[in-house]
Amino acid sequence: MLNYIIRRAGYALVTLLFVAIVGFLIIELPPGSYLDFRLRELRTLGGDYSVDMIKALEQRYGVNDPVHVKFWKWFSNFVQGDFGWSFQYERDVGELLSARIGYTLMFTLTSLVVSWVISITVGVYSATHRYTLPDYAITLFQFIGLSVPGFLLALVLMIFAQRTLGMEVGGLFSSRFRDAAWSWAKFVDLLGHLWIPIIVIGASGTAWLSRVMRGNLLDVLNMQYVQTARSKGLPERKVIWKHAVRNALHPLVMVFGMSFPAIISGETVISIVLNLPTAGPLFINALLQQDMYLAVTFLMFLAVLLVVGNLVADIVLAWLDPRIQFE
Amino acid sequence: MTEETITPVRAAVAAAEPTSDVGELSQWQLIWLRFRRNKLAMGGMVILAIMYLVVIFAGFLSPNAHDTQNLDYIYGPPDPITFVGPDGKLGLRPYTFATTTVLNQATFKWDFEIDRNTRIPIQFFVRGDTYKILWWQNDLHLMGIAPPDRLYVWGADSLGRDMFARTLVGGQVSMTVGLVGIALTIFLGSVLGTMSGFYGGAIDDAMQRVIEVIQSFPTIPLWAALAAALPNVSENFTMLHRYFLITVILSLVNWTGLARQLRAKVMSYRQADFTSAALVAGASNARIIFVHMLPNAASHIIVVAALAIPGMILGETSLSFLGLGIQPPMVSWGALLRDSQQVSTVVQHPWLILPGIGVVITVLGFSVLGDGLRDAVDPYSI
Amino acid sequence: MVQQQPVHAAPTSEAELVLRIRDLHTYFYTVVGVAKALNGVNLDIPYGKVLGIVGESGCGKSVTALSAMRLVLPPGRIVKGEILLNRIRREGDTYTVLDEVNITDLDPRGHEIRSIRGREIAMIFQEPMTSLNPSYTVGNQIVEAILLHQDVSKEEARDRAINILRRVELPNAEAVVDRYPHELSGGMRQRAMIAMALSCTPSLLIADEPTTALDVTTEAEILDLMRELQAQMGMTIVFITHNLGVVAQMCDQVAVMYLGRVVESAPVDDIFYDPQHPYTQALLRSIPRIGSRTKKRLEPIRGVVPDPYADIRGCPFHDRCSACMPGICDVRVPAMSVLPGKVGHEVRCFLHSDAYEGDDGHVA
Repeated sequence: MLNYIIRRAGYALVTLLFVAIVGFLIIELPPGSYLDFRLRELRTLGGDYSVDMIKALEQRYGVNDPVHVKFWKWFSNFVQGDFGWSFQYERDVGELLSARIGYTLMFTLTSLVVSWVISITVGVYSATHRYTLPDYAITLFQFIGLSVPGFLLALVLMIFAQRTLGMEVGGLFSSRFRDAAWSWAKFVDLLGHLWIPIIVIGASGTAWLSRVMRGNLLDVLNMQYVQTARSKGLPERKVIWKHAVRNALHPLVMVFGMSFPAIISGETVISIVLNLPTAGPLFINALLQQDMYLAVTFLMFLAVLLVVGNLVADIVLAWLDPRIQFE
Repeated sequence: MTEETITPVRAAVAAAEPTSDVGELSQWQLIWLRFRRNKLAMGGMVILAIMYLVVIFAGFLSPNAHDTQNLDYIYGPPDPITFVGPDGKLGLRPYTFATTTVLNQATFKWDFEIDRNTRIPIQFFVRGDTYKILWWQNDLHLMGIAPPDRLYVWGADSLGRDMFARTLVGGQVSMTVGLVGIALTIFLGSVLGTMSGFYGGAIDDAMQRVIEVIQSFPTIPLWAALAAALPNVSENFTMLHRYFLITVILSLVNWTGLARQLRAKVMSYRQADFTSAALVAGASNARIIFVHMLPNAASHIIVVAALAIPGMILGETSLSFLGLGIQPPMVSWGALLRDSQQVSTVVQHPWLILPGIGVVITVLGFSVLGDGLRDAVDPYSI
Repeated sequence: MVQQQPVHAAPTSEAELVLRIRDLHTYFYTVVGVAKALNGVNLDIPYGKVLGIVGESGCGKSVTALSAMRLVLPPGRIVKGEILLNRIRREGDTYTVLDEVNITDLDPRGHEIRSIRGREIAMIFQEPMTSLNPSYTVGNQIVEAILLHQDVSKEEARDRAINILRRVELPNAEAVVDRYPHELSGGMRQRAMIAMALSCTPSLLIADEPTTALDVTTEAEILDLMRELQAQMGMTIVFITHNLGVVAQMCDQVAVMYLGRVVESAPVDDIFYDPQHPYTQALLRSIPRIGSRTKKRLEPIRGVVPDPYADIRGCPFHDRCSACMPGICDVRVPAMSVLPGKVGHEVRCFLHSDAYEGDDGHVA
């Protein structure tokens, strides 16, 4: 088992190295980056201070170095936790992101848990009630959930909440609590603001996962051992939950590694609409402004999450499924 | 030896030998037969066909041209339509009401007021703004009202442009991005996947690493980062360039799924009897791939492709919504929805999100179509 | 050929039959049409005997078994017919019939059929590789069955599981009980399957091609084991196979099925030495015999089994039959009739009797 984990972790590290190369390329890709812009600005400004600044910047980002040296500079800094400078905000990227990534994780993790619980229940129900009216209804909702882009769902819910319910939505707090100290009332206000983001962020994931669960379970229900379990005289409930669902969960664990970044991916766009203080809006803004160190650091963060998520999923699967061999 | 008891259904179908009509159907006929029985998928196909017709004839179907600005109707609401005539009786001719602009004394903004007493008849096949369908220029519109008034069934945007016309024209981009993108995806995915599976070894290893790295990024952020590197629309870089490069970016990320699946298929075919037979007969590698393997995998490719289209359409919509995809003056559904990014604006003018209906219907159509195709091609793998 | 002395005399009354299947029709309503898997199966399963059901793939052997367990899943459905089970209590060599249940009347998910499954009728499937749940240990799956039908503690159930594993001659039963199925070989898994099926001492065991997926040596061992257990426990076995050698070795009575019907039913010796139906004769000609003096070629049966969607007029075998009588065999379906002068030998063929079924044998 330990060997297996070490081997998988080794693969993950190699993948991450290549991911870093792609990240570096993305930094280098845009024709007019903020760094170029700043250097040009300093050059036209002239003066001793500017010359020093230019030197410092050129030194730090290796502007005149060959590509591989440049990459190594960026990469070694990155690994040590120095993610670069946001020219747009005039602040350290690490500092900027760490202030917001906590909210990103809070929203995505909550949505993830909610969507997993709903997906498994709904998936089992619709697989065992195949071709019945509720199954068709669930299927319809799943398709709609998959077809409505998250930001559109967010917009619709916000218009509904504001026009019909007269609620102030968007952001995390109502205006009167925004700068207030923490209190019970503020906490309740926060909860009132959380439901829309959590529904919206979880919606497409839930639709997709419950569909996957339905498919898996239908597959497993065709297996011989399910017939065996029935032939013993087990009640259908036990056949389903003990013998079928347990085996249908394996592929679901495999997609776990994927579903987390997919949720963050959707959250990035949704946060802009819902005006949430997460890292997503920062990322998109950075891309629009070509503030590449900030953008790529967030992208790398997501990639690391995905690779690590897949690694964890592999290990959990190995632990869940006795058939997987650890050679 | 195993053909009998896996499940009774399988036994029943697997035992089918050519005696009745059922046994004589070709693979494609059987797929079509199963697909046709899937009402949901058939419905999806019909709706998509209608949608494509509608966006192709966008200029004719909408009362105004999509880029005609009307500064008197900025953020004008949708015109109500009634079938109750001036005589108070229900009839066949639709009417709309006159709209007047009133200065709101409190906010100093122009508000629109609908005059429920003045009915304006809606006319059919009227002349209006000129438009183009491909190269064919015309000014005939399906509906309209007598000038100088204009009919805005879905309201108007910040420059007083007809949202209905813009949505239909936006569909021309949004509904083709997926198709062009999927064509590229199929090309990349099948060439690289087949090579990877057929030659194996170092080629396969390298390809697998590349795929792994691409799949290590969540799609939308990666798309966004790549799209951010595209230059803005200028003289040297036209809207069409941007449109094409956006589809390239979408498929650059998307081909990996198809390649993986095809690789697995080709690997299993490599061991199949028909491949050995072809090899013994002296067939070249190219012949084995193109004559023997790809036709066998064709149905599989189609299914994977159909299931990937919704993701591409949603991808373009999200990118354009974020300002990283299609940019004005070109319109797409995502680019139109960008106007509603400010929540305060949408809450006041909710018709700005109507282009979203196009996205939902199209993606829904492709989803059920893809799902139905998969069930039809391989009814046992769900 | 192993000859076993019958445990009881040939059945004389219905009370000695564990299971009677009458005019059973099971259809599958699939996308491409209705597959008529069973078209009126009649079977008598005598107490304490081994009944073999023989036929080519797709003739309905397995569907018959699944119908008796009410495990035919949608789109399959029992359309018509009766399956009558005698619940039997056994004391030593004597047995008394408690009551009779019509299985086709039961709710396929209801309590009553569940109390029959596993306890009255147990089943072994063809694929030992997939018929045990990969996620649970062998012991867990046997204990589950024991706890379901017997009022014992968990520890007691585990002891019984180990005991029954010993009984099916699994070496090191104490260790095997905690193994996962993938850790066992195919033969060991099939033994574990048999142990699970026998754990509640059912009065009827249906074995659906239990050795088809195994190699020849393992097959011989498993067959020996089953025969032995049958003799010890006085159990009734329905043995489904397409292998006539296995039939000769295992069975007392044989029913030959073709396209959803029983075409010939006889004691095992009559089937091998005096087959009457042209299909049975053809089946026998298609297998080699050791010690055969004459140098005859093996004859494959002409044609293929028609697909179950086809609507065949007349005797279902007529287009493959060498003795087909045009104008008779392709018009009506022959009825099952007793051969004169034989005990328990019935055949469905116009060569032997003019009796026929309905108008053209099809159910509306």
